[in-house]
Amino acid sequence: METLGFLMDGFGVALQPHNLMFALIGAFLGTLIGALPGLGPANGVAILIPLAFTLGLAPETALIMLTSVYAGAMYGGRISSILLNIPGDEPAMMTCLDGYPMAQQGKASEALAISAVASFIGSLVATIGLIILAPLLAKFALTFGPAEYFALFLLAFATLGGITGKNPMKTVVAAAIGLMIATVGIDSTGVQRFTFGTLELYEGVDFIIAIVGLFAISELLFFIEEKAGGGKEKMAVNKLSLKWKDIREILPSSFRGGVLGFIAGVLPGAGASLGSFIGYTLEKKVVGKKGYFGKGDPRGVAGPEAGNNGASSGALVPMLTLGVPGSGTTAVLLALLISLNITPGPLMFTQNADIVWGVIAALLVGNFLLLILNIPMVGIFVKLLSVPPMYLLPIVTMIAFVGIYSISNTVFDLYFMVIFGVAGYLLRKLEIPLVPIILGLLLGPEMEKNLRHAMDISDGDWTILWNSGLAIGLWVFAGLGLILPYIIGPILRRRMRNPIEEGASGSD
Amino acid sequence: MVFNDRIFGILMIVLAVAYGWGATQFPEPFGGSEAVGPETFPLLLAVVLGLSSLYMVVRPDPDNAWPWSRTGIELIVAVVVLVLYAMLLQPLGFIISTALAVGTLCWRMGSRPVKAYITGAVSGVVVYLVFSFALDLALPLGILSFLEVG
Repeated sequence: METLGFLMDGFGVALQPHNLMFALIGAFLGTLIGALPGLGPANGVAILIPLAFTLGLAPETALIMLTSVYAGAMYGGRISSILLNIPGDEPAMMTCLDGYPMAQQGKASEALAISAVASFIGSLVATIGLIILAPLLAKFALTFGPAEYFALFLLAFATLGGITGKNPMKTVVAAAIGLMIATVGIDSTGVQRFTFGTLELYEGVDFIIAIVGLFAISELLFFIEEKAGGGKEKMAVNKLSLKWKDIREILPSSFRGGVLGFIAGVLPGAGASLGSFIGYTLEKKVVGKKGYFGKGDPRGVAGPEAGNNGASSGALVPMLTLGVPGSGTTAVLLALLISLNITPGPLMFTQNADIVWGVIAALLVGNFLLLILNIPMVGIFVKLLSVPPMYLLPIVTMIAFVGIYSISNTVFDLYFMVIFGVAGYLLRKLEIPLVPIILGLLLGPEMEKNLRHAMDISDGDWTILWNSGLAIGLWVFAGLGLILPYIIGPILRRRMRNPIEEGASGSD
Repeated sequence: MVFNDRIFGILMIVLAVAYGWGATQFPEPFGGSEAVGPETFPLLLAVVLGLSSLYMVVRPDPDNAWPWSRTGIELIVAVVVLVLYAMLLQPLGFIISTALAVGTLCWRMGSRPVKAYITGAVSGVVVYLVFSFALDLALPLGILSFLEVG
């Protein structure tokens, strides 16, 4: 029951008035980021990091705000799925299937309210899972030596593409590029590596600049190419007439979705997309013939929406306990931790207990805030949806510029960001995933440090890297992470596409 | 015939070789060499990148079309605007350079010019005010520095 005590302390941190205020701001901004077209959660959190710095926020406040943004973005993603039939991000795809038909039948506000309740339940279930599982995993992770960590980092890279990933080899290419960028600068023995005598490179490449460039600037370039400048037609939102019975009906679906989502979020290589997909298919199976899935069944909105929010809370488990993120957005949150000088991993639960538990409590508090924000204020978010990207994206770019500039007040960083942006655009055209690059940048120094420690212990014997049962297990899983996408990836991808196509033909 | 992945793969192999060669040129660290020196990890990475890029050359994915013609020019314009924005941020000051940069981007993305530059100017002023008064951070005023209060 030690956990409960920590959690209470966490609430003490999270409920401090200024932390609560930043959680509210974060939840609002997050919903906005999730709802707006062309601003995924990873992107949004990345842009806000430099701002959190320049505000000089205390570490726990900065983390609380950005975790609320993260949670909020998952709520926001459903708004455009339901009203525009355009998923705000990939995991919100499944919400389109029944959400959009509901909106077409003039039940848009019911769909929005149901999905808000389902999101809430999904997150709640998963946060409770997080509270139970995280300390256990952290304790277990204390037994890891440097060799196990090295293998764990490899596992993180190998599973990043997910089972449904297209070409795992491109993940490897991307990870290698990211790790290479991370080696630039003066290393721990004082040797200059790849600095070419440039003073600005002595301290290495600032990953925040790289993240903002790769995500935000490349997004702008993509929008220009697609010429998606104007706003999209959207559904009218009716007056809400939701009865208690309607909510009670979706409760079981939401619980099931939340649990499944949490599991998918914790496991490496599954992720939120798979979470919401499993949530949807399970609902279809459980409800059976009584349902009218694909034609606006509320349970078809609740299941995947709870699954996707559950997965996003679940994804925090490996990030907080092992320091190994499983998704783009959690990678960005990891970037925040590292820049706040907090070493992520099992030790964080003992050394920075106030911060970890503050964040976990903030996740619970944030969920209540989001539920309160999302039901009455949905109208505001709906209005903002109609802001055309041709105004939105230039302004977002400007905010990225301001954020990066205000970190160190140098123009060099801005050029660097633009270079990363162009590189990000080219890489995305080549379908090289960007997240492994970011993860490489973040984990590179730790990975090398662990390699050095392991070799120091073994006195230069490389076999130490696979000398324990745990390390071998991690290597095997890493190998599977790269091989499985070739074998079962195509099957799963086809399965995921099928209901979507059925849904699309059913709603025409 | 697919080109994108092959060309990129070859470029990355060149990078891997250059990077690996660069790593062998590091001076020996102070205090003698160890099992894992500054060059060990980079050399591993060079091998990994080299092999995975080779795979891309041998088994490339289908090409995505590149936007040549007009869209391509629009993209170059956008990048030039971003570079100029960075270059002019200090001399012209935040407000004017933002008005120009955001305005041009909005305009090129399809907004009417007048509306675009008004958006740029308004967003520049608002963000400037928020930063200097609410957040207490100084953004450069540039040629508008005569407006500075106190």
